Amino acid sequence: MSLSSESIVLSSASEFNYEQLAEIYNQTRVDYLVPMPMNAARLQEYVETYDVSLADSFVALTPGGEKLGVAMLGLRSDRAWITRLGVIPTTRRHGTGAALMRALIARAEELGRKFVMLEVIKHNEPAHQLFLKLGFYEVGELLVLRRSPNQPLRDPIVADARRLERLDALVLAGHDRGTQPWTNQSESLANAGDVSGLYATLADDSRGWLVYQRKKFLLTRFAIKTEAGDPATVAYALLTHLHAQYPRLDTQIENIQVNDPHLLAYQWMGYVEAFRRIEMWRGQPPASLRLGKQI
Amino acid sequence: MTTILLVEDSPDTAELVRKALTARGYNFLHAPDAESGLRLARENQPDLILLDLGLPDYDGQTLAGWLRDVPALKDTLIVAFTAWPRETARQMVESYGCNGYISKPVEKIKEFIAQVESFLKSA
Repeated sequence: MSLSSESIVLSSASEFNYEQLAEIYNQTRVDYLVPMPMNAARLQEYVETYDVSLADSFVALTPGGEKLGVAMLGLRSDRAWITRLGVIPTTRRHGTGAALMRALIARAEELGRKFVMLEVIKHNEPAHQLFLKLGFYEVGELLVLRRSPNQPLRDPIVADARRLERLDALVLAGHDRGTQPWTNQSESLANAGDVSGLYATLADDSRGWLVYQRKKFLLTRFAIKTEAGDPATVAYALLTHLHAQYPRLDTQIENIQVNDPHLLAYQWMGYVEAFRRIEMWRGQPPASLRLGKQI
Repeated sequence: MTTILLVEDSPDTAELVRKALTARGYNFLHAPDAESGLRLARENQPDLILLDLGLPDYDGQTLAGWLRDVPALKDTLIVAFTAWPRETARQMVESYGCNGYISKPVEKIKEFIAQVESFLKSA
């Protein structure tokens, strides 16, 4: 296929339904190491959870209407997020990705969001280079971790573990968690269904909380905070209680920062690293993000 | 007849595998997502399940957990079919109770068939 940047037409993603968007997105990922395909329902949940604005997202087409790629824009009060960027393999290296990215950055600026976040899968060099070229800089590495329900169950650490209902859980998760990647910000938890939490106090008065989403077959979207004591020990206590409560559920948690003080607890619980992403930012982060007060 | 279930969302890959396996005389079943994979596995109790780890409704790892929860499928051969790097594939396979993995994409049909048959012989 021969294309010039002038022959790329960008249409608003809101002109397509979820089935069509999922189909385009899946086509862009067929040759990825981690393709992460989605059906329409999964994509709709993604859009709603992460505040993706389809009206401000784009599908790239040829003038004849052939689909080339897709990219989506998430919008929150003072920041934007670029996600689901993909170009159909047979049409790559013709500027579609750059055209989509420039359009999203311009749209974010028009809407008053000068600060833009994104994540790129580690070792996806073409995308990484494109983002650097467009002014993004690296912030750190993020881990995607999984834990199988086939693991032997650990006895819960003796602790006073109290269940937190949704509202209490969201209040805790809504402040003082430091800078989080978009997917783990408080808004994501607030948008997600079936969120609740655990508050644990250990015998030595170490204490902390875990907020999580329980889906039909999966535990996900963890936010952990240690209020007192050793973070790994507190997190291990919380995780042993959680997995004892839901022994048959698979677990996937995304975008855990490599310097997360609770990381050791995940290792003790048998979590394995699925893959890594690199977090990248463009512009100066707003104060709300630095303080971890996203709501 | 030996039955092999492929759970794989890519139609091109599914067609390639179907041709390769039916040419060798295997009974071939295909599911494009996790839910239909679980249904076909329950209904047909295949001898081997080839499981893509990236599926559009639920991840292959989650499906592996469901499959191992079905008493009739507890000992069925489950082989991850993935493009993930070897070490990641190995860890996932071990953690999720699969019997091994075969790397994608399939470049040499003979090699792919040999890998499938090696798993079947090991059962």
